[in-house]
Amino acid sequence: MKSTHANAPIYLDDAATTRIDPQVAAALSACFAARADYGNAASSHIAGRRAQAAIDTARQQLGLLLNARPQDLIWTSGATESDNLAIIGAARFRAHRGRHLVTMTTEHKAVLESFDALEKEGFEVSRLSPGADGVLALSALEAAIREETQLVSIMHVNNETGVVQDIAAIGALCRSRDVLFHTDAAQSAGKLPVDLAALPVDLLSLTAHKFRGPQGVGALYIADRPGCSVAPLLHGGGQERRLRPGTSALHQIVGMGVAAKLAHDRLAANLRHVTALHERLWNAVKRIPGVTRNGSADAHYAGILNISAAGVEGESLMLALEPLCVASGSACNTQSREPSFVLKALGCTDLEAQSAIRFSFGPETSLGDIDFAGEHYRSAVTKLRAIAPAAAA
Amino acid sequence: MTGVARSALPEPYNQRVRALFEEPQHAGEVVNGPGRRFEGRASESAAGAQIVLAAVVSDGILAVLRFRVFGCPHLIAAAELTCERFEGEPVKKLQDFSVSDLMETLGVPVEKTGRILRLEDAVRALLLQIDRTATNKD
Repeated sequence: MKSTHANAPIYLDDAATTRIDPQVAAALSACFAARADYGNAASSHIAGRRAQAAIDTARQQLGLLLNARPQDLIWTSGATESDNLAIIGAARFRAHRGRHLVTMTTEHKAVLESFDALEKEGFEVSRLSPGADGVLALSALEAAIREETQLVSIMHVNNETGVVQDIAAIGALCRSRDVLFHTDAAQSAGKLPVDLAALPVDLLSLTAHKFRGPQGVGALYIADRPGCSVAPLLHGGGQERRLRPGTSALHQIVGMGVAAKLAHDRLAANLRHVTALHERLWNAVKRIPGVTRNGSADAHYAGILNISAAGVEGESLMLALEPLCVASGSACNTQSREPSFVLKALGCTDLEAQSAIRFSFGPETSLGDIDFAGEHYRSAVTKLRAIAPAAAA
Repeated sequence: MTGVARSALPEPYNQRVRALFEEPQHAGEVVNGPGRRFEGRASESAAGAQIVLAAVVSDGILAVLRFRVFGCPHLIAAAELTCERFEGEPVKKLQDFSVSDLMETLGVPVEKTGRILRLEDAVRALLLQIDRTATNKD
């Protein structure tokens, strides 16, 4: 089981974070270097106004990516904060109308735990399960929405499986029932077309570091519609329409703006690239006996491929896969030791979930990386099965 | 994290674990040969670790010791180290098997103690089978 541990890492974990684009890094550096322009955007003097102008530019760049009005975007520290603000903020804002909320069991923890917090405030939450392919049946959502339902939160692209939900249809259903629709687009913004002028989405969370921007900055889109707003979670300033007060993180926002611009310009080419990588990797591993894809083969984002291998222990597989930087469904290398709740919601057994590996890639990933990954995966699975008892293998 | 030395990074496995995991010399089945074949098995749960220890005993000596494991790298390394230490030794030496020594040598996190205890179960099962055979002979 000779590992190539000393070899350079091959990064296939873009769903966790992407490497910052050199142009974004340059913009960040320039922001720090241009001392005359580095002020607090809330200040009225020239340095403050220059900072505000840079932030305004970034807001326009992000608006271009999402086809949204810049004034409908507010900066946050990332998708987790955006999810919290959207869900908790919207629920509280509309609590006088009703206290029933709907989400899915396969959402990100930032969403699920926001709903957990709301339950402690007396809200009632319906958590819908997807089908075995990870896709939510519209009929299930339709049945779950009641007279008193105020908010539905369904993610666009699942962070573990890459499964894509039909947010256009979900949003249309929500509109028809006068229910706000929030979507966590952390895994889709900057990667898939997201046209907020056309999509019936009221609240959308995103983060810069998933599309080659800096970590620690994100945004929340709030549609300019009657009844659509959030109660702020933070207090103490007038920034971001008082919905998210606090000194604006100038350099990070500038970086996010540049990343958004680049993602907009390259979106179609990047999507073609990751689609080719996905097909190549899946073709390389699908004939390995006992290897299965987790999640829909049709409704998925091509930058993520999640597969399980029967008879292989996940933590050992992760080590055997070095120097590949991938994510495990066994979670033994993360803060949790439980098998992925997302994969279990899709009907995976504990064994299937803990053997799952998520490959995720982006514009920087090469065909050579993918070929190496496919061959290395085959080799690791074969070797681990060879030392496992017959009952396991 | 440019410029951070690898030695400064948090490592889930020490070098011994990595070496034993990468080159498990004792993984697999026992080959036929002079002596009698014995086997000890243990498992964590339906979805957990599985361990098979197999031995060929000849003249009271563990002539061949092999393992098969479905489990984490620490467990594979522990099984390999156990085989490495006891192969070629008298059967009674297996009674010296020490969970705490393995845990310390391999830097096994305390939350994995249960898995290493299952390896101890497999060792005990192996010993029991050998002892029973010896008793039946008597």
